[in-house]
This record gives sequence, C-alpha cells and structure tokens, in this order.
Amino acid sequence: MAGHGSKIKRRDFLAVTGAGLAVGPFFHVRPAKADKGELVVVSWGGPWNEALRNVMFKDFEAQTGVRVRDDAPPENAKIKAMVESGNVTWDVIDTDMPAILSLVDDNLLEPIDYSKLDQKKLNNIPKELHHPYAIGHKIYSFNICYNTDLLPKGKHPQSWADVWDGEKFPGGRTFNFRGGVSPQLEVALLADGVPMDQLYPLDVERGWKSFDRLRPLVTKWYGSHSEAIQLLSNGEVAVGCTIGAETITAKRQGAPVDVEYNEGKLSSDYWSIVKGTQNPDAAHQFIDFALAGDRQAGMSKYVPYGFSNSEAANHMAPEEAADLCSSPENLKKQFWWNVEWWGEVGPDGKTPRERLAEEYAAWMVKGQ
Amino acid sequence: MLGSASSPVDLSLSRREAVGGARYWRSRQGALVIPVLVFLLALYVYPLSRLIMWSLFDPELTFQHYGKLLDDPTYLKALRNTLETSFGVTFFSLLLGYPLAYLMVIVGPRMRAVLIAIVLIPFWTSILVRTFAWVVILGRNGLINQAMIQVGLIDRPVALIYNMVGVQIGMVHVLLPFMILPIYGVMSRIDRSLIRAARSLGARPRHAFLQVFLPLSLPGVFAGCALVFLMAVGFYITPALLGGPGQITIATLIEMMVSDLLNWGFGATLAVVLLTVVGALFIVFSSLMGLDRLTGSRAV
Repeated sequence: MAGHGSKIKRRDFLAVTGAGLAVGPFFHVRPAKADKGELVVVSWGGPWNEALRNVMFKDFEAQTGVRVRDDAPPENAKIKAMVESGNVTWDVIDTDMPAILSLVDDNLLEPIDYSKLDQKKLNNIPKELHHPYAIGHKIYSFNICYNTDLLPKGKHPQSWADVWDGEKFPGGRTFNFRGGVSPQLEVALLADGVPMDQLYPLDVERGWKSFDRLRPLVTKWYGSHSEAIQLLSNGEVAVGCTIGAETITAKRQGAPVDVEYNEGKLSSDYWSIVKGTQNPDAAHQFIDFALAGDRQAGMSKYVPYGFSNSEAANHMAPEEAADLCSSPENLKKQFWWNVEWWGEVGPDGKTPRERLAEEYAAWMVKGQ
Repeated sequence: MLGSASSPVDLSLSRREAVGGARYWRSRQGALVIPVLVFLLALYVYPLSRLIMWSLFDPELTFQHYGKLLDDPTYLKALRNTLETSFGVTFFSLLLGYPLAYLMVIVGPRMRAVLIAIVLIPFWTSILVRTFAWVVILGRNGLINQAMIQVGLIDRPVALIYNMVGVQIGMVHVLLPFMILPIYGVMSRIDRSLIRAARSLGARPRHAFLQVFLPLSLPGVFAGCALVFLMAVGFYITPALLGGPGQITIATLIEMMVSDLLNWGFGATLAVVLLTVVGALFIVFSSLMGLDRLTGSRAV
C-alpha cells in the first residue's frame, strides 16, 4: 500500500543505497531529463501511483499540456545526489514530515510559493498542514482497530483506556514493535488519562508505566501493518493499534474488522518541490491542481486514505466519507502527531525517536 | 578461465591427453584458487572487515559500542534467547531427524526415493510461505485448535504460536532437512556387514545398533547438529513471525538497529559479537566432536 508499508521500505532503501553507491560506477544509469513541458512526480508506487495516474495526471496533462511522468519512491538519498550533482530530474515529491524535515535540513527543497496556490483551497486545509516547504494532501491515522466478531460495533473499545481494559473488553491485543515508538507512547498516555490536547511534550516515564499495564494483554507485537490486519481479520487478536485506512481496505474486502477513530494519531503526507527544479511554475500548478477537493475525493475512492481539503467530503457519499480519518467528525476526535517533538535533537545528540526506540527494545526484552 | 578446456573438441580427449591436462594444472594449482579467492575477498572478506571497522570506529577508535552491549542487559538477554532457541531447535531436529535418516537407510530403494522426496520438498517453498502456513495451522482459529475444540479436548483455544512452542515448531520444520541429510549421508556409507558381524558374534539387535551402528553414525549427527545450530542462530523471519515478545532474537535487534535506527555502528557490533560467539562454539564443537572427519581430512 501507499501507506506505512512503504515507509518501512524507505529505511530499507537507505540501507541498500550504500551498496548502490558502491556498484554505481559499473552501471551507467541515465534517467530521462525533465525537460520543459514535462513534470516528474514522485510518490510511493503501487495502487497509489495508479490512482494518481487516473485521478490526477490524465486530466492535468489534458488541461495544461504538461506531460507528467511518475517515479517511485521519493528517497532522500536520491534527492541529495540529484541536487548535489546539479542534475535534478524530479520536480514534485510526495512524502512524510520526518523525510521533509531532513530534506529541509540539507537544503534540498524549494519553498512553497503560497501565492501561486488557490487561497480558497488553502483555507479548507488544516493549518497544521501548511509548512514553508510542504503542503499536506493525504491524511492517515493510527487508530483503535478491532475485530467485529469478537467485539461487535457499539460494544467495541471507544478509547485507549478501553483498549487497556482487559476485563471489560476481553481478547488479545496487537501493537507495533517495529517502526518506532509512536504512536504507542502517545496512546499509552491517553490510556492513562492525559488529555489529548496536553499530550506534548510527552511524559515518557508515565508512558512506559502505562505501557507496563498493557503488556499482559498483548498477544503479538507486530512487525508490519499487513501482519496487524491479518491478526485482526482472523481473530487472533480482538483489538490493535494500526493504520485505520489499511483496516478500512480490509473491511471493504469483507474482513470482520472496523475502526474507532476516537483518539487516533493523525499524520499527513505532503507535496514538496525539489530544489533546483527546471519547472517551478508547472510544479506549483500541479500541486494546486492536486489539492482540489474533487481530486482528493477521487484518490480516497481508490485508496481509503483521508483528504486534506475538507471540501472533498462534498464529492463523496456521506457513509464513504465517514469511513475516512479526515471526515470532519473524525478529524475532531483525533490529535496531530507532533513531528517536531520526536525529531528534536537532545543533549545526548539523539532525537527522542532514536533514544526511545532503543528503550522500547529494552522494555520489550526485559519484561518477559 | 577453465571454460576453454570444456569446448566440444575436448570431449574427444584421449586418456593420455587428459592425464597431460591434469599434469598441466597440477603445476599451476595456485591459479585454480584465484577465482574463488577473488570472489570471497571482494564479496565476503571486505564487507566483513568493514563491519568490524564500523563496530570499532565512530569515527575514531572507540569501544563505546561494546561497552554499551555489556552495560545493557537487553542485548545479552537477546543473545541468550537466541542461543537457547537454537539449542532447542537442534535438539528437536535431532530427535525427529535421526530415526527418519535411519529409516531411509534400511528401506528398499523405491521407498527411499519417496522418503528423500518428502525430506526435500519443503526446500521448494519459501520460508515465508511455510511460516505463514504455520500461522494458519497453529492459530487461535487454526486447524489444530479448532479440531481439539470439536473433539472436546479443550474448551478454549490454547496458545500454540506467538510463544516458544510456535518458534520451535516453525524452525524445526525449516531446518529438519539440514539435520537429516548429513546423518543419512554418513549412515549410508556405514558398512552393514559390521552389524551382521556383531550379530553373528552374539550381539542382540539393540546392542549391535548401540555399540556398532550408532558410534559410526555420530559424525553425521555432529555435522547435522552443527549445521542446524549455526543456521538457527541467524534465523530471522520465523522467530519474528511465530514468536512472542519473549523470543526476540539478536537478529531482530540487528535488523532494528540497521534499518529502523540507522545505528550501523551498534548493529555491526551486535553482528560481530554474534559471529564471535558462533565461531567460538563452532571451534569447541569441532575439536570435541571431530567435525574434520566429515570434510575427509580424517578417515571415517
């Protein structure tokens, strides 16, 4: 999927890049240059790119005469190599905030010229998603996902405190082991009674203590979101914490699963422009086109990720919108991931993301 | 390289010419080693030395990674998990594999072919697929639990996966052929007339087996155990999918360090420590049990 699975892949790509650079000289790869009149848009491949082609690229090409070529994945190391060699072939990229922050640090992105974007569309996009170098377009969230055979809708856990309550809501739990400690720490604090608007800065000690209480309920610490969906679908566990959109996909395919959006952790993928692009105007033109409500609604129909432009809800059936994390009602019940808190380098030279992932491994191994 | 020596013309070489060819290469023995040497140096020795460098330099010479490993009980516990799991897998593989290998030796050729096929067929399927198959079979709503509930043996599902039981079942299944084949190889070379001789000298079948056949088959047992153990230590997929939090292995932590945390220095340190421990165990194994007999450097 275009979701979290690809994010894990990005890290693998980083690992492989080293090898790629080493053998580079043996293979002369010359990517087609993005000439004037052609725009290269880089996203996560698979069904998401397919949807982009059908919903975005075709009509954009017809309306502007600019040909769109797609590529995948928007790997940071590749952008760095392009910008530094002065051979920039990518124009627009679709990626998440940690990747963008690290690209901004290395000065590899063009600032977004907001005057070139339609103000009406921007007003419909949450302020949290307006970044000097990026504008959010695809929203996804980590949610309470449950098996409807074991916990029928209505009698299902409606808060993280419920998920922590093994007596009222029996059955195994599944939480992620790989891919960092967010949202586990956030939801552990919510389960312990921290109000949603006072989550950050996270009280890490309190989070671990709350997590200790969850441990006996967990059947399996999953390694990938597809594993979590499988555990939920076949009833190995009753409830888990994974990406709601993936669960909705499974639900649409007939699996007995559903999503409770209350207290979910929202994050977004963003459009950004690569430094030194040959086509800054076309790039802005494309982003503006792609932020339109009807376009985003079209994307959500292909892949049930949320739209950032609230106007998109007007272009789909109400029950369809209600299944998405970004419907106005669902958006209200959730909190935005604070990427800055997780990415801030501390006195030990490490970010909470790095430091806490190691603590998490230790917590996991120690507590058996 | 040697490719030119196998052109169609060479097929008609007379014996004398062939002997001449052998003599030609005997005087140039060193050259025969070069291809494999280049291969190993470039693709094995060099990366391995880089790995060791990563664990020691960051960027200056430092033992901080090793210090951290000793300070934090997490990693030693994961190492212990890994070794315990591997010993268990080796033990159960031997328990299941030895009788089957023996059966393969004593049955007729047709039955033997069938047995060998049964042992080898799992090799044709990817480990990932086989591991997922175990999830289907052993899960809460899996075949075994459902069958036991139907029969009335249990009234609620028992945990067969996401714990040590699942890991052992999954890993033994994958590694069993590596136990059976070396044992079978050694057993099939044992001169059966020795057993008949023991019998004709009055040994009961059990004694003939225990005192003649079993000791002669031990090199195969040692080889199988060493092979299974060494492979089990580096296993990643099966413990990750079938294990619970108690079965976190060192391979899982290495993967996490390298791809989640991009802490290559510490990941390399874990890898070097694992390599050292396994290497040390292997040396102990082979000096105690005479693994060199298998490579032919000592007569069986």
